[in-house]
Amino acid sequence: MADMYVFETTSLLEQLDQILMKTENESSFAEEDINEIFRTMHTIKGSSAMMGLENMSKLAHAIEDMFYIIREDHPVISSMETLYDIIFSASDLLKAEIENLQEDEYTPTDFTEQMTKIEDYAAVLKGAAPADGAAAAETPAASSGADAPAPAAPAAAAAPAAAAAPAAAPVSGSGLTTVKVFFEDDCKMENLRALLVINRISESCAELEYIPDDIENNGDTAKTIIKDGFLVKFRPAPGSSTDGIMETIRTTANVKSCDIIERGSEAAASTADAVTTVRVHFDDDCKMENLRALLVVNNVRDVCENVTFEPADIEDNAETSRLIVEEGFVVRFKSDKPQMVLQVIEGTPSVKSYVVEESPEQAPAAAAPKDAAPVQAPAQTAQAAPSAQSAAAKKAEAPKPAAKKAEAPKPAADNGAAGAAKGGVKQSLISVNLNKLDVLLDLVGEIVITEAMVTSNPDLKGLKLDNFQKSARQLRKLNSELQDAVMSMRMVPISGAFNKMTRIVRDMKVKLGKDVELIFEGEDTEVDKSIIDQLNDPLMHMVRNSMDHGIEDNVEDRIAAGKSPKGKITLSAYNASGEVIIVIADDGQGIDPEKVLAKAERNGILTKSASEYSEKEILNMIMLPGFSTNEQVTEYSGRGVGMDVVKKNIEKIGGSVSVDSKFGQGSNFVIKIPLSLSIVDGMEISVGNSIFTIPINSIRNSFKVQPSQLVKDTTGKEMVMVYGECYPLIRLYQLYDLKPNTENVFDGIVILVETDGKSACIFADELIGEQQVVLKPFPSLLGNYNIKQYGMSGCSILGDGSITIIIDVSNVISDF
Amino acid sequence: MAENTTGLRSAYTADGIEILFFNIGESIYGIEIKYVNEIINIEQITVVPKLPDYIKGVINIRGKVVPIISVRNRFGIEEIPYDDRTCIIVLEFENGDQVGIIVDRVQEVLVAKPGDISKAPDSKNVNANRYIKSIIEIEGDIKLLLDCDKLIAD
Repeated sequence: MADMYVFETTSLLEQLDQILMKTENESSFAEEDINEIFRTMHTIKGSSAMMGLENMSKLAHAIEDMFYIIREDHPVISSMETLYDIIFSASDLLKAEIENLQEDEYTPTDFTEQMTKIEDYAAVLKGAAPADGAAAAETPAASSGADAPAPAAPAAAAAPAAAAAPAAAPVSGSGLTTVKVFFEDDCKMENLRALLVINRISESCAELEYIPDDIENNGDTAKTIIKDGFLVKFRPAPGSSTDGIMETIRTTANVKSCDIIERGSEAAASTADAVTTVRVHFDDDCKMENLRALLVVNNVRDVCENVTFEPADIEDNAETSRLIVEEGFVVRFKSDKPQMVLQVIEGTPSVKSYVVEESPEQAPAAAAPKDAAPVQAPAQTAQAAPSAQSAAAKKAEAPKPAAKKAEAPKPAADNGAAGAAKGGVKQSLISVNLNKLDVLLDLVGEIVITEAMVTSNPDLKGLKLDNFQKSARQLRKLNSELQDAVMSMRMVPISGAFNKMTRIVRDMKVKLGKDVELIFEGEDTEVDKSIIDQLNDPLMHMVRNSMDHGIEDNVEDRIAAGKSPKGKITLSAYNASGEVIIVIADDGQGIDPEKVLAKAERNGILTKSASEYSEKEILNMIMLPGFSTNEQVTEYSGRGVGMDVVKKNIEKIGGSVSVDSKFGQGSNFVIKIPLSLSIVDGMEISVGNSIFTIPINSIRNSFKVQPSQLVKDTTGKEMVMVYGECYPLIRLYQLYDLKPNTENVFDGIVILVETDGKSACIFADELIGEQQVVLKPFPSLLGNYNIKQYGMSGCSILGDGSITIIIDVSNVISDF
Repeated sequence: MAENTTGLRSAYTADGIEILFFNIGESIYGIEIKYVNEIINIEQITVVPKLPDYIKGVINIRGKVVPIISVRNRFGIEEIPYDDRTCIIVLEFENGDQVGIIVDRVQEVLVAKPGDISKAPDSKNVNANRYIKSIIEIEGDIKLLLDCDKLIAD
């Protein structure tokens, strides 16, 4: 329960940040953004209250109130900055509180100060509102005495954004259904539980009142509720029924009983039994319209029953596709939540537009319904007359969803936890504990090993086993599919990590007074979840560096250098040969190699004379431990401060970092990380009794050396000439002090490896073959001896049960 | 060490500590049975380069990669070729780490009563003494109880 709360609230807050960031860039609030923020805060308020976290609930409530004013009164916001500062700091407080919550000893933080700020600002906003707005600021549930049924409400209230639109028409006091709710004895905080009831049903009610009405702010109401019960008066919104709402109330946590005291008329159409007719059009040229239509039908069938459609024989008759192109595809369904069904239709691939031709709320009004038989209670027929107008209005509005669709696919706007819903495609997601996925991955790894153990079992040697080989191939294929499936489960787009940077850039922009824009490229690139988690800190560090030191302090300097006054930081990610490459580029002042060299000399970390260093080597010095002197630490960074830590962290996940910079033009930091941590395609080689595995993606080729290819430089260092270039020869047995079968370069095999733009030839006894291996970290005892520095990244168990050591080519090469 | 004291205490209730004894040359050493996971025959050890001499490499025990330590080398005693009585005692520590130690031969398991155990001498002169936890006198013989944590620590 608490886990769910933390997970959900964290993702809501992240979503909130994204919206804020977006709106801040556009420097205006779109109606739907305000609604989204409002809803987010509302949900946080409700769930926090549920968890008994009153401070968070109240803070969220304060923000909600503020946005209520913004939404209803449309005040002239004089200082956007103040507003953003307030919301951002509130969102930070909430995030920090969630962190606190996960500590063992949790004491609620006092948010009074922040709340006062918000309330003060809300008051300012209210003052700034146009005069007539004041009246509208009353709660939407405010009922007027007029005694007219509310047929107008349906159309508006059904649209998702209009959940609390002021469209609520004049209300009949007596037309409301009154329900008395009692909560379980001793469940505590009855007022907040009552609030939860209200929250849950508010979406499905066209009108809603409750007694006592100050449950949100007045703790004493809990007593009243215990004694007299909690009275709820409502009128169902179109798409919901009294019974449905009753059920919602009944199923709310801690509700003991709920009884209808007074049954109001089902003023809004009860649609559970009514038929909605929708005409769907598909994308031009999408082909096979009949089958696409079938997909729509299937999707709709998932969410409601009694689905009929025209043409009816789409499944068997391909000719129908022409008909569909010309006239559209008609679907009729019965649902008590037509809005949801429409979203499903909208989310189906290739659907271009749809038009609601007949929906329950207009059915009774449209005096001559066509073949769709609307079954309505007599009470509603009585309303036919007043509804007629609204039906006409509705008709005019009807094509609206279609138009909307044409603009841009709207997100299936709900505040579900996943931001992934953004694509407009309905996704069904579940959240799974990462540990379970880790276990699954381990198991798959074991299966891969075991498969090799079985299929290359020494007992089978020399036997002719055609059928066995066939089955073994099948097994191998399935295993590799299984492996891919498990891997893909763990893949998440890197955009999550990128988006966090937006916030950092925003904050630093304000603090440092630099105008910088952050650009993302390839943020859809997917990376293993466990790698992403490790990536946040290094990324943050580098973006801070770029902000603080990369981008020039003075705009004049930029202009003088012929650059746009606005700084630019680009985060890009892309896939290349089994690796993900992330580049953090800025167009700032770049790194001065001379300064770096001078500093390195001062710190005594040079290993050869200063003149021997290439520019690339010099630049990469900023990542050496010991380079960072805290000479110029600012609040955020000092170039070099902690870059060695960044490097270490990235190496920990099997990656590498390099720097590239043109003095005066900007710097690029390039991070390379493996797609996934654990399964490696490797080439096995042997040296004496030992077997090593070199990852295939760092091998260029392997060959036997001819005497003419071998050259020695003046120091006696051996080099091999390949394709007209010289590469250093690394004798593995020398590097690792092993006893090889042959020391003669011409007898053994040479493997040309390349990584990070550096190449070398590795000499070994022989090639054994290619195999997929599952990377296992060395046992912790060996971890004490820093063997990774010698190019051993881990080990793996081979099919025959023996152990191979996996070579990390970049570390092997780095010493040569 | 906290975990050791608890170990001893729980062992006391069962009349003393169970100890597995093994030979290194002529000397007999013991280790507390609570550390012992299994005893296996010596098998092919995969050499991991660039490690201290006393770590002989790693072996695969049911899918787990386990480092192997030579007790002879650790004690600074000359190493002898493995024979068919050479064994690997696989130790498991509280944190789940497994480490194998190579011994000349395994003797027996005996129960040492609290009265049999006395503190190790304070001498640091002999290399092997660094790893001794206490001295045990059982049935008139003097045997040395090794400290497993020190054995694998640097």
